[in-house]
Amino acid sequence: MTFLMITGRTVNQGVTVENKTSPEYAAETSTCFMHEFDMMELGLDDGDAVRVTGPCGEVVMRAAASPEVEMGTVFVPYGPYANHIVAAGTRSTGMPDFKSHEVEIEPADEEPKLVHELMEDLGGLAYDR
Amino acid sequence: MIVKDAVCPFCGCLCDDIEVEVEEGRVVAVTNACELGTTKFMGEKRMKNPILRVGDEWKDITYDEAVKYAADMLLAAERPLLYGWSGTHGEAQCVGVHMAELIHGVIDNTSSVCHGPSILAIQEVGHPGCTLGVVKNRADLVIYWGSNPIDAHPRHLSRYTRYAEGFFLENAFRDRKVIVVDVRKTESANIADEFIKIRPGGDYAVLSALRAIVQGKADTIPRTVAGVTREQLVRVANLCKSAKFGAVYFGLGLTMTQGKYKNIRNAIELVSELSRHTKFTISAMRGHYNVYGSNEVNTWMTGYPFGIDFSRGIAFYNPGETTAVDILARKECDAALIVGSDPAAHFPRKCLEHLAEIPVVQLDPYPNATTAFCNVQIPVAVTGIDAEGTAYRMDGVPIRTRRVLSSDYLSDEEVLARMYALMQEARER
Repeated sequence: MTFLMITGRTVNQGVTVENKTSPEYAAETSTCFMHEFDMMELGLDDGDAVRVTGPCGEVVMRAAASPEVEMGTVFVPYGPYANHIVAAGTRSTGMPDFKSHEVEIEPADEEPKLVHELMEDLGGLAYDR
Repeated sequence: MIVKDAVCPFCGCLCDDIEVEVEEGRVVAVTNACELGTTKFMGEKRMKNPILRVGDEWKDITYDEAVKYAADMLLAAERPLLYGWSGTHGEAQCVGVHMAELIHGVIDNTSSVCHGPSILAIQEVGHPGCTLGVVKNRADLVIYWGSNPIDAHPRHLSRYTRYAEGFFLENAFRDRKVIVVDVRKTESANIADEFIKIRPGGDYAVLSALRAIVQGKADTIPRTVAGVTREQLVRVANLCKSAKFGAVYFGLGLTMTQGKYKNIRNAIELVSELSRHTKFTISAMRGHYNVYGSNEVNTWMTGYPFGIDFSRGIAFYNPGETTAVDILARKECDAALIVGSDPAAHFPRKCLEHLAEIPVVQLDPYPNATTAFCNVQIPVAVTGIDAEGTAYRMDGVPIRTRRVLSSDYLSDEEVLARMYALMQEARER
């Protein structure tokens, strides 16, 4: 199904933002908040993995029902998971389209990666001391 | 030991009434701060010493080695990018600008991915703003547009708006109306007197409709505008016109959606229109505690607030061209110095693919997502905890952050000054 993906701040993202190697930060920023009817349509329960495909790639997140989002829209906290599929075009403003990406969402049978695994996929080297 | 009136170095509210209890060089309790600030003050897991990436290994190195690596990297680069700057104090930002000029680099701060579009709009139509104290004491109507203060600026509501006392308001909680405009029914929307739910991407149209109604042209408005009924728009326009003092606070819900700076321009023009009937102001909900300071420092040193390119030997500014996301996505820079931010967590992946290909040095107290792309990371003291320096609150008021404990870590300014001294020496030779 096609959705509009909006990214933004949550308290939990802010609380864990200075500790990006923590499992809490990974869990918060890999959460895809959805309307419960959309989840029903896709056969998803809270915590199920979803593959989110954007204009420049795909990433696995976990679905969570939220009364805040409309049907057809998903909300993902700012972070490396959403940005893994956000395009870099800025329409001559310097600002990417962080809140207006169309994405495809389908159930997935794999776990979301860890933050450092995402970074290593792009050529980085994890530091975990 | 209890430190009173400490300044919280998390968000642009820069709350200056924090009490921090310190025992044996550690923060053990924090009073008055929100959850975000408390967690920052209590933060642990700092990086212990500078690290260098050698192949697939991390090696510990000394500060002298790390500073020399950074200076050599920047001197050798043809188009270095110096990015971040919002999570550090103004004194460090000054050194950064001098450094960018010396090596003909590009210096950009995180506002290019937060309120950069707001600044573009202000450059077009000006900024009818005021300090937070004026709003606290006078505003009887506050509008949060595309902003969710309960999650992003938790104490904005209690210090300045919804739950704050006001000198000129008899009963602030009763007399002050709060309107939230958003595409999601957020927690902030739940505590508002009126919630306007807009279809995503519809902000510009709704702002235009409100302008038309304020101008007395309500009959030209269709039955709904971006999902908002005409009746609600007319009611809100009347609330605004009948307020004695109104304040609009807007967030990234306007800057990151389609239209970007044009949304802000329209919002500012709505405020100008309303100011023909009553007093109205508008300001941005700035994110990092010193992102505003970074714009200030850049502006008084170079004339421009962000995205400044010194490759011509003079300051040149063209957002979309000289901004970090664009420079990285075009694979243009050949070295990057990152200070007080974490682009690997907040930039699109294409930018990270280029960061992986070039030498990167980062100054940050903690391991973060960008650490993975670093050749060298230098841990520094945290401004407001074990370093002090000037930061600018979201309304442009400079506040000196305090040191609540001492540590052996150098501040950003000290590390950058050492780097800059080496670079000046090399250039004079």
